[in-house]
Amino acid sequence: MNYATKFSMLLALLFTTATAMAQFNVTGNVTDGSGEPLIGVSIIVKGSTTGTVTDFNGDFNLNVKGERAVLLFSYTGFASQEIEATPDNNRLNVTLEEDIADLEEVVVTGLASGVKRSNLANNVSTISSQELTEVTTQQTIDGALYGKMTGVNIISSSGAPGGGIAMRLRGISSLTGNNQPLFIIDGVYISNAEIPSGLRFASGANSGSEENASNRLADLNPEDIESIEVLKGASAAAIYGTRANAGVVIITTKQGQAGRTKVRFEQDFGVNTIQRFVGRRQYTAAEVEEAFGPDERARFERAVADGEVFDYEQEIYGNDGFITDSRMSISGGNEKTTFYFNTSYRDEEGIIENTGFERFSMRLNVDHRISDKIKMGVNANYINSFASRSFTGNENEGGLSYGYNLAFTRDWVNLFPDALGNYPTNPNAAGNPIFVRDNTWNEERNNRFISGANMEVNLYQTDRTIFKLTGNVGVDFLMNETSVYVPETHQAQAGGNNGFIGEGRNGLLNYNYQAFAVLDHYTESNINFNTQIGMTYLNFDRDLVLNRATQLIPGQTNLQNSGAQQISQARATEEDFGIVAQEQVNWDDKIIGTVGIRFDKSSLNGDPNQFFAFPRASLAVNVANFDFWSINSMNQFKLRVAYGETGSSASFGSLFTTLASTNIGGQVGIRAGGSLGNPNLEPETSQELEFGADFGILNNKLNLGVTYYIRDVENLLYDFDIPSSTGWADESRSDFDLRNQGLEVQLGFTPVNREKFQWNSTVNYWYNRSEVTRLGVPPFVPTGVAFGLGLGTFFVEEGEPITQLKGNGAEGPVTIGDVEPDFQLGWFNQIKIGNNIDFTFLTHWKEGGDVLNLSRLLTNLGGTTPEEYDDLVGFVEDASYFRLREVGLYYTLPKFSNTISRLRVGVSGRNLLTLTDYSSYDPEVSTKGTTGLSTGIEVTPFPSTRQAYFHVTAEF
Amino acid sequence: MKNINLIISTLCLLVLGACTIDEQFDPNAPSVSAILSEAEPNELDLLVYGAEARMRTAWDTYITSTGTIARELYIFNADPRNTEDLLGKEGRSLDNNTFYLTAPWGTRYQVVKNVNLLLEALPNSQGASEAELAGYRGYARTVKALMFLQELMRLNDNGIRVDVANPENLGPFVSKAEAFNEIFTLLDEAYEDLQNGEFHFQLTDGYGGGFETPEGYAEFNRAIAARAATYAEQYGAALSYLEDSFLDLDGDITVGPEMIFSTASGDVLNPVFKIPEQSGDQIIVHNSYIEDIREGDTRLSKFRPRVDATSQDGLNGTHETALYGSALDPIDIIRNEELILIYAEASIQEGNLDDAVTALNVIRNAHGLGDYDGDVNRDALIEEMLYNRRYSFWAEGHRMFDLRRYGLLNADNLPIDRPGDQVFQQFPIPLNENQ
Repeated sequence: MNYATKFSMLLALLFTTATAMAQFNVTGNVTDGSGEPLIGVSIIVKGSTTGTVTDFNGDFNLNVKGERAVLLFSYTGFASQEIEATPDNNRLNVTLEEDIADLEEVVVTGLASGVKRSNLANNVSTISSQELTEVTTQQTIDGALYGKMTGVNIISSSGAPGGGIAMRLRGISSLTGNNQPLFIIDGVYISNAEIPSGLRFASGANSGSEENASNRLADLNPEDIESIEVLKGASAAAIYGTRANAGVVIITTKQGQAGRTKVRFEQDFGVNTIQRFVGRRQYTAAEVEEAFGPDERARFERAVADGEVFDYEQEIYGNDGFITDSRMSISGGNEKTTFYFNTSYRDEEGIIENTGFERFSMRLNVDHRISDKIKMGVNANYINSFASRSFTGNENEGGLSYGYNLAFTRDWVNLFPDALGNYPTNPNAAGNPIFVRDNTWNEERNNRFISGANMEVNLYQTDRTIFKLTGNVGVDFLMNETSVYVPETHQAQAGGNNGFIGEGRNGLLNYNYQAFAVLDHYTESNINFNTQIGMTYLNFDRDLVLNRATQLIPGQTNLQNSGAQQISQARATEEDFGIVAQEQVNWDDKIIGTVGIRFDKSSLNGDPNQFFAFPRASLAVNVANFDFWSINSMNQFKLRVAYGETGSSASFGSLFTTLASTNIGGQVGIRAGGSLGNPNLEPETSQELEFGADFGILNNKLNLGVTYYIRDVENLLYDFDIPSSTGWADESRSDFDLRNQGLEVQLGFTPVNREKFQWNSTVNYWYNRSEVTRLGVPPFVPTGVAFGLGLGTFFVEEGEPITQLKGNGAEGPVTIGDVEPDFQLGWFNQIKIGNNIDFTFLTHWKEGGDVLNLSRLLTNLGGTTPEEYDDLVGFVEDASYFRLREVGLYYTLPKFSNTISRLRVGVSGRNLLTLTDYSSYDPEVSTKGTTGLSTGIEVTPFPSTRQAYFHVTAEF
Repeated sequence: MKNINLIISTLCLLVLGACTIDEQFDPNAPSVSAILSEAEPNELDLLVYGAEARMRTAWDTYITSTGTIARELYIFNADPRNTEDLLGKEGRSLDNNTFYLTAPWGTRYQVVKNVNLLLEALPNSQGASEAELAGYRGYARTVKALMFLQELMRLNDNGIRVDVANPENLGPFVSKAEAFNEIFTLLDEAYEDLQNGEFHFQLTDGYGGGFETPEGYAEFNRAIAARAATYAEQYGAALSYLEDSFLDLDGDITVGPEMIFSTASGDVLNPVFKIPEQSGDQIIVHNSYIEDIREGDTRLSKFRPRVDATSQDGLNGTHETALYGSALDPIDIIRNEELILIYAEASIQEGNLDDAVTALNVIRNAHGLGDYDGDVNRDALIEEMLYNRRYSFWAEGHRMFDLRRYGLLNADNLPIDRPGDQVFQQFPIPLNENQ
């Protein structure tokens, strides 16, 4: 109750009595540079809560108290203007100019409020729907972000349609916990789980993470998204507390606008092809004999004579996958109610036959004003998605993973079925990839419902004060079904397990609610106090059930038609509860200061009812807004500094020491061997200091933002292998500190700005460096990140980067690489030619950063590495690349019909060009899935693809 | 103002009063603490069954790692370390953090933990009779000794840990001699307990034929002791342990406890079984076994000729394993055949050469070879004994230790398949033991 007392004292201090004054009416019209009316422009009487928005025609009407007033016109995407109105000058026609730096955009920084970009103390990256989806069609949201914002590192664990993407914000923040940011869509904390299908029980992969499943962000339709904000570090994300250590991605979906109902239909056709073929080793008869002996030479010569030498890489990865993506949206509404509806269907075929991804999505967003004081909104999204991903990546003798078995497959062995349909046994590998392609499956289907509702009640309003209550609830329900089938005729199954069926039924339910009280007060001296206090609650529930069957009845794919069955189940419930208070003071957009604190407790902590505090403070000074500023050409000069703390609790189960179940001859038992739980765990915490400056020159024709951050993760939770002779595998420890620091530079400029030719350009440059600053144990290889020092692995060592790779040397481990890039540079360009042609492209340059290419280890072993890589020493390769990531060219037809208001056609592509020395499919790779340290290790992935599209968009 | 105050006060009350998060428990598995306090015999039995189940895990790695070093076999699968590290290719050494070391090591010690938990739980248990408690102790210590023995043989002079009950305070690595002492002590204590013990638990069908009772299990205990004594080169002790074991020179040489496998949910298949003609995951017989086997030796049936010879990483083989006929075949823990050969070996070493010949003839005859007609002297009989051990226990995890015991684990006595390959004597201490 302490806070409340202080709070009311604060209120008492702030409240000033309004005196009765004269008032007058101001009317006018707002247009953009081309004379088109702007709808929804915000008009505020400066220093007060009085305001309105423009209507469908760009008109407004406002009653103003007093004898004179400064009206502030602001609109996202346009530079704001201040215009003085008096009873004599009360008809205002205003033209707003576009602002490429988007300083008016409101960035959501608190749980119940936002800040204009021009007043922001953090470098918060924002992506608009234009940048997100208008260059080319995006497969998944996370994949769409790469190269478009600073500080974001994205690695894909699979080129299979339907995702499998690891997103890292400002480096690694956790060893065992979540390195994936928290995703919040319209206030709903959604699941981005990567749910394994259990194929490892057939393939022999070491863990679920090696199954390269998709991450469930893939379910969201990128087209629904209005904007994405990325809070990259603790200084911006502190208010999200104990789940924000890896950053927060806030996604806002589209809303309808009052006015004419708009119907938009879009159709894409595209094709998926492999980015590059690595190639196969070409043998002469003599070379075959030297490598494999005389018998093999005879077989080789027979095959050559019969014309039966194949290119199995081409055979497996050479499919041209057809893509269709159809979307329809309808939006509109009136003053009270607006809506946005979208339905879409994407069908994408992969570069391996029988792989693909389908997604059906339907969304309805409705906003309604119950009265002047109360407004509410409801968002509902249903998704049905399906992915067929087949088998790739690491395995152990399962004979399933294409790349793994191709590494050992000899091109002169005929693996195609004979006239009777029998597939030959692959004499050199555990499986026949042609058989796998034609007769097995690994599929997942998701039925998902994401819905949120929010309400805002304006309890009290005067000229200078608004007191609001806001609340929202959200739910994300996901029913995930996985299905894996390997017939009993597969050569690694016949005579052993005799076939495999894995059927997963995985239910995930996330729900959350929050309630806030927000007080906004403007003093006469132009100081705005924004005070908020509130609470949040999260509940994440998972129940993952996997049914496995072996000893199959031939031809049957039903679990029941099998001789042996196994069930495994993993349940988890996580609850978090937090209390938040934040105070923001804005002096006339000159100095903006914020302090806030969040108290969180979580069921994942040893004491579930102990609160942990996560404070924040930030200051932004808009030097150019001060009266003394005399450089007119520089319209923005902002200095900013921000500090914040966030946390991350241990993963579920870390508190317990449990015994696993066993069975021998039907007799169940229990055994030791798992993790030694720690019932006293506390969350790891991250403390970040970020500072920087923003410059805007010539009305932001040229703008520059420079940010440096230092992020210290303290008491990092990690599983440390304890001596196996204890009978346990590992224990949770926290004597580990990690520092990430880096530079982020964003430069926006307009090289050409003519009436018929407009070119806007954005350059994003960033790098991150990490260092282990404290380690209470000897240097060690973290569990499950790679394949041991013999092959090269991540190696945690004080004073060294967390991303370093080490391998065995003559005298202990030696450094063999570092997966952290030296820097990355994204260059985004929008060129508008005339009124009809839009040309957009994004290039991405990643310099440095190594990859441990264990695919080549396998092809060396199998004798299939192309000759050109014979001189590569070791398996660590430089993974630098320059890539034309996205490019799009669109033509808007001149208006020819009254029914169709806009018709646009275009072509686009993704990953059309990559320049790299890397010897395998794609330098962006991760064989260990998307969690932990796992990037930069390659074991025969699903090869990355390039896509080319044709688009038609019609608006009615 | 009052309104605001009231609203905020209410909100704060709601916030602070609401939402107490319940204490957490693991919804997925039983906990250690429950077993350690007032466990009933039915619960204690679970630890026995868990130990029996777990000792099978990584047994394949155990026999392929030692078998590759001893040039019994190659494991041709996709892991290059099986043909590189284990054979010392191009200067490689055995890695101290790789599966061929850590998988058997870790699982052996998990079984040790299981029986240590059992021993720890006994004093606080409820409802077990004194005889049953003795039965649990006899079982637990026998299994512990067997696990120690398995890893001691791999690490050899590096020693092993024997005091591992408290994960916070592990005992040191003890020397080979001390470890043997501990193993004999455990086996002897267990033997005592088994004399008056009763088994509340029902051992698996693998102990059928009498080994499921405390009396039968005691004979198994003595058999393990005889094996340990042989490995320790304490041949006199080996002979005396054999007296109370199930050694039977006239009996079926295949008799003995087994690890069993089934398709029941949660159970595993025989990991050493390989699908005939399968490539990519196959145990290939070292060609020297095919070359050296004597005419008429029926143990040749353990090796199946492949339709096509196979090669990987510069290694070749014409035969693959046929040791187990199906994935459900049991694996012997120890059998009469080994006891007979221990009897032969110990007899040679103790100078009872005639006893040795008698025993060797039992084995020879059982495998289609006539009576021994070579020289009856120590060296000749050792050679004969080692030949029989070599073929009787192919891919059963003995050969490396037999060779080492007789100073033969080196390049002079073993075929070196690729120039530069090395013969290793022992495995290193695992990295995570922090030695």
